Amino acid sequence: MSTMTLYVEKNSILHNTAPLTKVLYVMVSIAITYLIPEIAFVLSVAIITLLLLILGKVFRKIVPILGLSIILILSIIIVQGFFHPQNQTILFSIGFVTFYKEGLSYAALLTLRVMNMIMSFGILILTTKHDELVEAMIKKGLSPKIGYVLLSVLQLIPQMRTTMAKITDAQRSRGMETEGSLLVRMKAFFPLIGPVVLNSINITRERAIALEVRGFSSNQKRSFLNISKEYRYQTAIQVILWLTLAAAIVWRILTWLS
Amino acid sequence: MSKTSIWTFKLSTAAIALIPAAIGINYLGKLFAGLLKLPLWLDSIGTVLASMLAGPIIGALSGIINNIIYGITVDPISTVYAVTSGAIGLVVGIMAYKGWLKNVKTAIVIGLVVGIVAAIISTPLNITFWGGQTGNIWGDAFYAFLVSHNFPVWLASFGDSFVVDVPDKIATVIISYFIFRGLPNNFNTIFRGSDKIEEL
Repeated sequence: MSTMTLYVEKNSILHNTAPLTKVLYVMVSIAITYLIPEIAFVLSVAIITLLLLILGKVFRKIVPILGLSIILILSIIIVQGFFHPQNQTILFSIGFVTFYKEGLSYAALLTLRVMNMIMSFGILILTTKHDELVEAMIKKGLSPKIGYVLLSVLQLIPQMRTTMAKITDAQRSRGMETEGSLLVRMKAFFPLIGPVVLNSINITRERAIALEVRGFSSNQKRSFLNISKEYRYQTAIQVILWLTLAAAIVWRILTWLS
Repeated sequence: MSKTSIWTFKLSTAAIALIPAAIGINYLGKLFAGLLKLPLWLDSIGTVLASMLAGPIIGALSGIINNIIYGITVDPISTVYAVTSGAIGLVVGIMAYKGWLKNVKTAIVIGLVVGIVAAIISTPLNITFWGGQTGNIWGDAFYAFLVSHNFPVWLASFGDSFVVDVPDKIATVIISYFIFRGLPNNFNTIFRGSDKIEEL
């Protein structure tokens, strides 16, 4: 069955790292870039994340994901460059447009943080299988019911996408207009979304019965189908990550105090 | 049979199975809105419907999980707004329970409240993470306008989220209201409370 995933099947150090270690890396690397607002520091964290992506052999796959946020990044650079409240020093002007030093360096800091955030997420989602991640989380104490919800969404969405194509064709063949003025297009929204909603809620009922029959609400301890992989050095890496976070927090508190 | 409280934590299987469906509907709403080139996102219809059908807890869960899933499959940025989506589900669920789903007018009020709550919650997130902007061209133009007229950043950022969120959420709630009204009555009973499950 097809699922929605960005996972890239490769063999690298990152693919052989425990999912939860990668989750911890995502959290720590994002948190420290917000705790320590120094441009050189944030840049170095972003470079480390970038190097990790290259190490995981998934660098090329991150580009389209970064592309999705290009509007946000451009908007940060332009708006902060022009309008940052502390703008004083003129850096350069293009025609009547003037960029200021303060605004641009703030924009650079924000942009690096955003890029680091996206790239560190990339490390997690490009090198980790969803089911492995969810299973690891259930073993750590996540409710199996939530685990089911997470995994079933990923299977349901491709299914609904095929339903969507079917419904669009059916309604068009009945003469529904999908192009024209805004009013025409707004009217077309209901015949499109209506059947999908009815259909999916109906299926939900059947799904609930099927789950219930298979002991979904049972309170017994769950066993796992897949044998969990053995990972090495995970504790050491996790301890280093926690220490980095602690150091960043201490740094922040010290700068506040002084 | 006594009426179950809106805060029932013992979630029925049907209600849990509704969450993936709600997230799927969110996703399709966004796709259809894109297909028809509508000037709105309409990407929380599923969350709003789930709250109307199964109450605030399921609604909030749908919202939060929706953004997490979206974050790990399409766009990491959206994970940040999981809190906002959760709040949308919570507000709709509570207001629907309190009887604000009587007619279109009250549904519009729900939409307005949801839009304002969404803007209030998004504002601190936007300021912390991206200095106050949203990445939406109209909203950011408004932000730039306010900041250049010496409004404080938090107010400008709120204005940015406000002009983007409020129209979208009002439209979302109205659409969900009409769909909700069109659903067969037995749908409404399935998802409420755990004592109904044996009637399946």
